[in-house]
Amino acid sequence: MKKSISIMLTALLFVSVLPGCQSSGTNPDVIKIGVFEPLTGDNAGGGELEVEGVKLANELFPEVLGKKVELVIVDNKSDKAEAATAAARLVEQDKVNAIIGSWGSSLSMAAGNIVKDAKVPAVGASCTNPQVTLNNDYYFRVCFIDPFQGTVMANYAISKLGAKTAAIIQEVSNDYSVGLASFFKDSFILNTGAEDSIVDTENYQTGDKDFSAILTNIKAKNPDVIFAPGNFTESALIIKQARQLGIETPFLGGDTWETPDFLSVGGADVNGAAFSTFFDKSMTTTDAAKTFLSEYEKKNPGKEPAAVTALGYDAYILILDAITRANSAEGPAIRDALAQTLNFQGVTGSTTLDANGDAVKDAVIKTVEDGVFTYLDYVAAQ
Amino acid sequence: MKNINGKTVLTLGVIAFTLILAFILNGALDSYVRRILNLCAIYAIISLSLNLVNGFTGMFSLGQAGFMAIGAYAVAIFTVPAELRASGFYLEPMMPLLANIELPLIAALLLGGLLAALVAFVIGFPVLRLRGDYLAIATLGFSEIIRILFTNMQSVTNGALGIKNVPQLSNMFLIYLAAVITIALLHLLLTSSYGRALKAIREDEIVAEAMGINLLKHKLAAFVISAFFAGVGGGLYGALLGTVDPKNFIFTLTYNFVLIIVLGGLGSISGTVIASFIITIGMEWLRFFDEPLKLFGIEILIFRPGLRMVVFSVLLMVIVLFFQKGIMGQREISFDMLRRIPLRFGKRREDR
Repeated sequence: MKKSISIMLTALLFVSVLPGCQSSGTNPDVIKIGVFEPLTGDNAGGGELEVEGVKLANELFPEVLGKKVELVIVDNKSDKAEAATAAARLVEQDKVNAIIGSWGSSLSMAAGNIVKDAKVPAVGASCTNPQVTLNNDYYFRVCFIDPFQGTVMANYAISKLGAKTAAIIQEVSNDYSVGLASFFKDSFILNTGAEDSIVDTENYQTGDKDFSAILTNIKAKNPDVIFAPGNFTESALIIKQARQLGIETPFLGGDTWETPDFLSVGGADVNGAAFSTFFDKSMTTTDAAKTFLSEYEKKNPGKEPAAVTALGYDAYILILDAITRANSAEGPAIRDALAQTLNFQGVTGSTTLDANGDAVKDAVIKTVEDGVFTYLDYVAAQ
Repeated sequence: MKNINGKTVLTLGVIAFTLILAFILNGALDSYVRRILNLCAIYAIISLSLNLVNGFTGMFSLGQAGFMAIGAYAVAIFTVPAELRASGFYLEPMMPLLANIELPLIAALLLGGLLAALVAFVIGFPVLRLRGDYLAIATLGFSEIIRILFTNMQSVTNGALGIKNVPQLSNMFLIYLAAVITIALLHLLLTSSYGRALKAIREDEIVAEAMGINLLKHKLAAFVISAFFAGVGGGLYGALLGTVDPKNFIFTLTYNFVLIIVLGGLGSISGTVIASFIITIGMEWLRFFDEPLKLFGIEILIFRPGLRMVVFSVLLMVIVLFFQKGIMGQREISFDMLRRIPLRFGKRREDR
């Protein structure tokens, strides 16, 4: 018995050494782009969607400067320590020229110092926390950051819905939700000119199911709009329970709402909920968007591309564009080219990177109509 | 001194060799390998702290993530350069009392350890009266409470946004020095009369009490010391990553360390250290399962991201099935044992 086990283990060792030999050794004719994303663990869903976009872009544009582009995809297990190791592996072991990733701002932040020290530029697809790129010359992103999104929704509430007062429900353990809520608040107070225009701020924890206490408080304050950015399941439950309590106030949120689960959990109650996002199918203003949509349709018939998939695609083509402009695949050269990105035409519209490396781009406002996400409005970048 | 004999010299020699090796490797290795080896040592420190409570004292505690969080936040709050703090705390400014206090890393590590120990002392009194599953639930609850507290203390911890720009620690020598000190102190503790009392409590609480061992006092001591090392380990963990946020310290983090001590052997220092290295290096080494593989020109479909986790789980099951007490059980690697290895093989041959 023991013998067979040891034979099995030895066999496993041999099998494992084989592919290990193949991958080592750097090839000067290949440009490597590392992708570190959560492919297992809590955030696997989001990571998978981004990788989908990156892979699609790689199939369509497999070459730059006459060299083949190779993707090195590593899993970061939705774990911060693992994200840092994965990034270190990409820069040290695989010697990648640039990095894409990661879904989840805290995972991206864990890789921040590593890409900075190794002088390998990284482009985040959907990490919206301002701290990711702050004080880091080598981190960029193709999505807009929380402050802009918060401002967009505040302006929308005031100008389009004529709101004078608002209540905020934030997912307090989620950096994204807290950041967005705070910028919404600042912008709303600034634009209405009234300190007390935010009538209530309520907190909940990720995973909460019952929101009646929060909603009863809000009902008593009777705000004109409720801003509730956060995880889609909890947000959908909040809206559902609000309607059950007889609250007819319109709900506003952020880009995380744009998932099928939001619709299935919320049902008819989420009709009319509005949120800001990066991309809409009907807004195919750029050539890249047309290519992306038709190719995506070909690969996944009948499936709607997620905004993060489009962003993953954009991150890839932006890096390729930067390599072409720099005419070099050296880290610092790509970095300089990325920093000068001006009106880059991606799937999610025209992108300009500011001094921090954050994308300045237009936002789309969508709503739910009869159980489908529909285009509502368009807010130009400031 | 009478007790300096060959073994002590040999032990000191091994310690010196480890530290010199760490010092040399620090310059020789690339940052990827260095990071993994650093993580091994940090995980060893935290796992040892957990083993002191779970393996040596026979209590079942799951609060390590909470103690780590205290240590990590102590390092994050006090070592970030004061001028970089405002840019991170953009939702709510940092508490003015803390905003300008800057501590060197070692002071912050010790502070984190002491704070964790203090918290352990305070919660230890009520909680350590519980046994078995109840203690596990109470400590698990404690670690979640710590995390939620940190999420809500916006002006101290920056809430859910976390703290960035923690000066990075990548010096292998320092981390291995911390690991060696931890091992040495725990070894001294466990071979002292206190350590024997702890083991007695593990074997049978009633008998231990009948022999005159003050149960609460000894359990509390083990719990507090464990929290101290977990705090220091958490601080090193935060410094290695360079960023800290509450989601990092979700209770599943503790399971990593439970896994390590079960695999290494509940009640074995050397087993814990070995298991920390096996698990941490193993996770990285198995990464090739995530890469696409072409054998004889055919792409094998199951080689895709996520496969390594499957393989890892299978390996763990194999180990748990065939080494039910972990790799080392309750034994330790000692010079006597190493000397006996050739003898043992000789004996086996005779048996046949």
